[in-house]
Amino acid sequence: MKKRFLKPLLFSALILTAMQLPACKSKTKTTESTDTTVTVTDTVAQTAPVVIAEDDTLSKNTVDAVKDFPGVKAEVMNGEINLTGEITREKLQQLMMSLNALHPKKINNNLTIIK
Amino acid sequence: MALEEKYAAIISAAKAGSIENLQVREQDNVLYIDGRTNSGALKDSLWDTYNRIDPDFRSGDLVLNIDASAASGTRATVSTTSSNLNVRKGPGTDQEILTKAAHGATVTVLSRPNELWSLIRTEDGKEGYAYSQYLTQIIN
Repeated sequence: MKKRFLKPLLFSALILTAMQLPACKSKTKTTESTDTTVTVTDTVAQTAPVVIAEDDTLSKNTVDAVKDFPGVKAEVMNGEINLTGEITREKLQQLMMSLNALHPKKINNNLTIIK
Repeated sequence: MALEEKYAAIISAAKAGSIENLQVREQDNVLYIDGRTNSGALKDSLWDTYNRIDPDFRSGDLVLNIDASAASGTRATVSTTSSNLNVRKGPGTDQEILTKAAHGATVTVLSRPNELWSLIRTEDGKEGYAYSQYLTQIIN
């Protein structure tokens, strides 16, 4: 008599667990998802410090930049480019554009404008 | 902050224009504005504004570094003021001159080995290094 009851009991227990397992699975899934919202407030980065070129690199690049401007003398010291000599106003902006791209600390313009 | 006010016209024009990686930083009483653009006209206009605020660039309180030279893989016009552009064996003016690209000629930018020099191919197929500032990108 006991065996007759045991079989359907075991069967129903199996069905019950089978039904519960996927239910448990879906429950854990919903709790897993988390919200990650990134808000971009400004496109201009301001945090990283300004990198100044080493004097050796700066000197070499300054020679390249000044080459096409006869009459201009450039000296590099402690990241600063010191300009002396003569230049026409027309060419000054072109020279400054080149020098500003070399990552100097600053540019001291003591050039004499001749035209 | 005082320098950002002095050069506010440049900063606002730079923000309004199409400049990648625009950075505006003040350090040891010098303002540094860095970025990259495909527009040579925008760079020129920022520089004209700079010259208007600080005539003949005498103050030494701004380093304006806007790179408008042609990107790798693009075609560019040789934008020297009048002379021809030297095409050299390596990136540096101490390198041998292989050929010259005429003012106004079209060249292909093959790569940018560093910020200042580009490896280019001239119209007649010669390759060498040229100063990037004199290469203005052709916008298709």
